[in-house]
Amino acid sequence: MTSPLNNVEHSDSEKNSATKASKEKLLIDVGSTYFKLSTANNLEQHFRDFNKDILADLMHKCGDTIDSFGKEDVHICSSANGGLTTLIIGITNTFSLKYATNIAFNSGINIIDTVLYQNIEDYSLPSDLIDVVIIVGGINSNGNVFSDSLYNYLAQLRYSNIVFVGNELDAPAIQENIANVEILPNIIDDRLHIVEQHLREYLTNLYQKDIEGKEDIKHLYDITSNQIFPTPYVVNKTLPLIDAKFSVVNPFILLDIGGATTDIHYSKDLVDDNLVTENEYDRLVFKKLGVYKSKQSLIFAAKSNEFVYELLMHLKVTENIFEEQTQKATKILMQLAIFLVLCKISHYKKAYINLKLLSINSIVLTGGITKVLTGDEIEDIISFFYKKILNSEHNPVTVLDSNYDIWTLGEQGKELCQ
Amino acid sequence: MKVVTGVVGNDIHVVANRLIELSLNARGYEVFNLGVNTYLEEFFDAAVETGADVLMISSLNGEAEGWSREVKLLKAKYKHLDDIIMMIGGNLVVGTGNAEDIVPRYKNYGFDIVCHQVDLNTGLDMLETLIKDREIEARNK
Ligand code: B12
Repeated sequence: MTSPLNNVEHSDSEKNSATKASKEKLLIDVGSTYFKLSTANNLEQHFRDFNKDILADLMHKCGDTIDSFGKEDVHICSSANGGLTTLIIGITNTFSLKYATNIAFNSGINIIDTVLYQNIEDYSLPSDLIDVVIIVGGINSNGNVFSDSLYNYLAQLRYSNIVFVGNELDAPAIQENIANVEILPNIIDDRLHIVEQHLREYLTNLYQKDIEGKEDIKHLYDITSNQIFPTPYVVNKTLPLIDAKFSVVNPFILLDIGGATTDIHYSKDLVDDNLVTENEYDRLVFKKLGVYKSKQSLIFAAKSNEFVYELLMHLKVTENIFEEQTQKATKILMQLAIFLVLCKISHYKKAYINLKLLSINSIVLTGGITKVLTGDEIEDIISFFYKKILNSEHNPVTVLDSNYDIWTLGEQGKELCQ
Repeated sequence: MKVVTGVVGNDIHVVANRLIELSLNARGYEVFNLGVNTYLEEFFDAAVETGADVLMISSLNGEAEGWSREVKLLKAKYKHLDDIIMMIGGNLVVGTGNAEDIVPRYKNYGFDIVCHQVDLNTGLDMLETLIKDREIEARNK
């Protein structure tokens, strides 16, 4: 497929740049299993060699391409640093925990654990160091929500950063009792609506610092003078532009099924919820549904879904496929990932949010999955899902982003969107 | 006084809900209106986040009883909601029914005030009476 948008983008940037050299850009995405490079007329992708430092690996495989660009024309995004780990302590599932989780996902954070404050004493302490602890709860006129049980818990927890985004009345006590806590405006307003901006900024900055601090990623600044962004953040920025590239009929969802996680991006119209945000699109991450890095947990999730055996039968394979290391087995796992993720956002197995799946007109697929499955194989699973789980003949159009246009678009559009 | 209100379950009858918000505001309450289509857990969670004194559930389409049976079980999971005033009103059964049977049944489900097909103002007067009674009780303790 040629990419007309590249040309549009170029004529745009032509206006902005004085030199000819800076017209063309090199876009690089470093993923957990492979990396991709895109220029105006070429796309390369390579499996990563984990015995090598990322930069060395990149230079080994595509040094010539990289050398032909100036640092200012190289744009990199990465999901390879694994993201920040977050622990959110909130006072209800519906408001504080859900709001903070939503903001964290949209800031590009992948790993999230939650603690319901009233039961804090019953939770076992995570043994790993947590990058950032978020404390949230109460509208501003509702004070005295937090007390000693919070401080006792925190005293035993290992963390690098801590931020309070709860009610104003508790803020002074929190400040006094927790060393180095950052106090930001409440993410819940007086009408119980979400306020995203401040926490989002704070987390995105932490993410940036984290990327810059990771040795492996840090070296990438040798080849770019631009900021390195988290990949999901970039993809999310693309969504408003997506119909410029594909014939996608709104509303749509985008499934990014790759090596480590399965991400779903969806437009807000599809959510029937108390969560009213300024973002047009939201993101949800299933960290345990990756096909390579989290294969075992994907299989586990599959085995605990009562429809999976029927699905395997439909695909004419047996459970033994899980033990195999073949291309066929990878295909089946990818198909299962689609099915499981759709289950999780339906009424059938509500994860965190449920989407109005019967109103969806298109399902866009991107990530490693587009290299493994054909359009027919994907459509087969989607219609199986609609029939079995939703009892419906509804059949949204599937759109395959086999050339990673979405990511290219996002990388290019990033500056436009900021 | 803070009141959390809304219409429970998949019920979309919105007219009374709007009137409830207006009337409560006029009587000086601070209102948190969750609107139609509100699940039980959302009511309780909103009460926790706001520190509400009253939870006022409305139900018109006949779903009330199904949800009400869940109230005690769910509320027991919350550690700080023991003192909240629980109130329900609207059409509390499918079809017609008589209040003498309905009210004790719903009180048993965990409600303090039950208004089956009771006019809104009468219901809000009942709330005021209960609040006053509780204040007197608290003072005498
Ligand atoms: C308008 C209406 C609709 C509209 C709603 C539009 C909207 N978005 O609001 C539409 C057409 C969409 C609709 C749909 C349905 N409706 Co309808 N609807 C009505 C109707 C005609 C009027 C409701 C109304 O707005 N009244 C005006 C308001 C101000 O009065 P109110 O709701 O009765 O509330 C007063 C009191 O009850 C009280 N009150 C209410 N809540 C509370 C709470 C507290 C704490 C207190 C103190 C007081 C209180 O205060 C109000 C003022 O005094 C009634 C019949 C009727 N005449 O009441 C049926 C009625 C409520 N609907 C009914 C039904 C069955 C349905 C449907 C299931 C029909 C169907 N088969 O599809 C669907 C349900 C959809 C859903 N998911 O909920 C039944 C409910 C029967 C039951 N409980 O046994 C009724 C009673 C009709 C009937 N006689 O059969 N409906």
